[in-house]
Amino acid sequence: MGKLNQQFDALVRALSPELYRYALGLCRNSDVAQDLVQETFLRAWRSQQTLRDVKTARAWLYAILRNEHARLYERQRPEVRDPATLPAIPVRGYDTSTEAFALRRALASLDLQYREPLLLQIIGGFSCAEIGELLSLKPNTVLTRLFRARKALRSALEEAQDRPEKHHELS
Amino acid sequence: MNCLEFRRGLLQDPFDSANGLLEHEAGCGECATFARELRAEETRLRALLNEVSPPPQLVDNIQLAISLQQRGRSRRQVWYAAAASVLLIVGATMTSLMSTSWERGNMALAQSVLNHIDDEAHHLREAGPIAQSRVKYVFARFGAELSGDIGQVNFAAECLMRKRNGVHLVLPGRQGPITAFFMPGERPEKPLPVKSARFQGHIVPTVWGSIAVVGEHGEPLQELGEKLAAAVLWPAATGDLVGQRLPAAALVAQQ
Repeated sequence: MGKLNQQFDALVRALSPELYRYALGLCRNSDVAQDLVQETFLRAWRSQQTLRDVKTARAWLYAILRNEHARLYERQRPEVRDPATLPAIPVRGYDTSTEAFALRRALASLDLQYREPLLLQIIGGFSCAEIGELLSLKPNTVLTRLFRARKALRSALEEAQDRPEKHHELS
Repeated sequence: MNCLEFRRGLLQDPFDSANGLLEHEAGCGECATFARELRAEETRLRALLNEVSPPPQLVDNIQLAISLQQRGRSRRQVWYAAAASVLLIVGATMTSLMSTSWERGNMALAQSVLNHIDDEAHHLREAGPIAQSRVKYVFARFGAELSGDIGQVNFAAECLMRKRNGVHLVLPGRQGPITAFFMPGERPEKPLPVKSARFQGHIVPTVWGSIAVVGEHGEPLQELGEKLAAAVLWPAATGDLVGQRLPAAALVAQQ
């Protein structure tokens, strides 16, 4: 580890948690997410001389991870975990309420074109313009996708809340 | 701003504090309720997405992978330098070199297997079984398929071998941990013994490369070697077998 420059080491420590969350949101498989993050940092390390401004490193790493995920899908479709199952590694503070599981399911069922801008906004904290650059979309398109993503989430949640009542009506 | 514009804006970013949004919210009771509900949902969504912590070993794994790559680069540089030196004298000693080159290559391969185990001795201490899906994923990165049960696996990763990447497994044995390397492109002419003060094992050639199985002295490895070879379908990369996936055991038999 001593051979790695300190700046890159700091990047790994600071950004691997959020990149892991973003990767997990994309592929919904913890093992694959870990490999995606590892591969992202390996690629970044190989071409770190092309990074002129450390301030842009975050967006750069997100872009690499996104490409790695796309590359992975070209080769194979990774096994997707049911978002309602509990994580293999116990997570402190993991919300096990019915609403939380419904929300996880709703999020997982979102089409990637809507889920991805939402992940970038919430996990990455990127602005619409930055998300647009990362996804090669116009800012207005990003706004539309964010709008549709949240609208779809709300509908899915309302449906989940209505379901037990419907069940009750049928019985 | 009307109610429709307000709700559209809020669904794009529930915590947007643009003046127009705040003004409308202050003057419209229904939209204020909508905003409260949406922000409560958004808070829950943000908490859900950020509640996941990466596995504790993730940073270590990244640092290790980068170190391995550094090592691989320096090894390649040494190899290029060595190759250049050999080229200078190859004209004069061609015949004698050819007669012993295979033997040297075999010795170097066996030694590289032992070096790899020593360099990454910490993987021998990996305690817990890892998920079968993880093992399958590592093989899948090479287009290979784990089609049978190989028992408990404590470690599985894509690793830089002598020339190119392969699969590194650590499995529990009777005497201690057993290391298995699937090494595409490394094709010795015949099975090779691997031996050091602590370890013993063998390297078995296949059409696509070879499989090394190495454990502590006294560890029975034959059965595990056969099990591994039978359980993994590796893509054939030579001749008329290109594109096929055959059991490693069958590939050995075709040598």
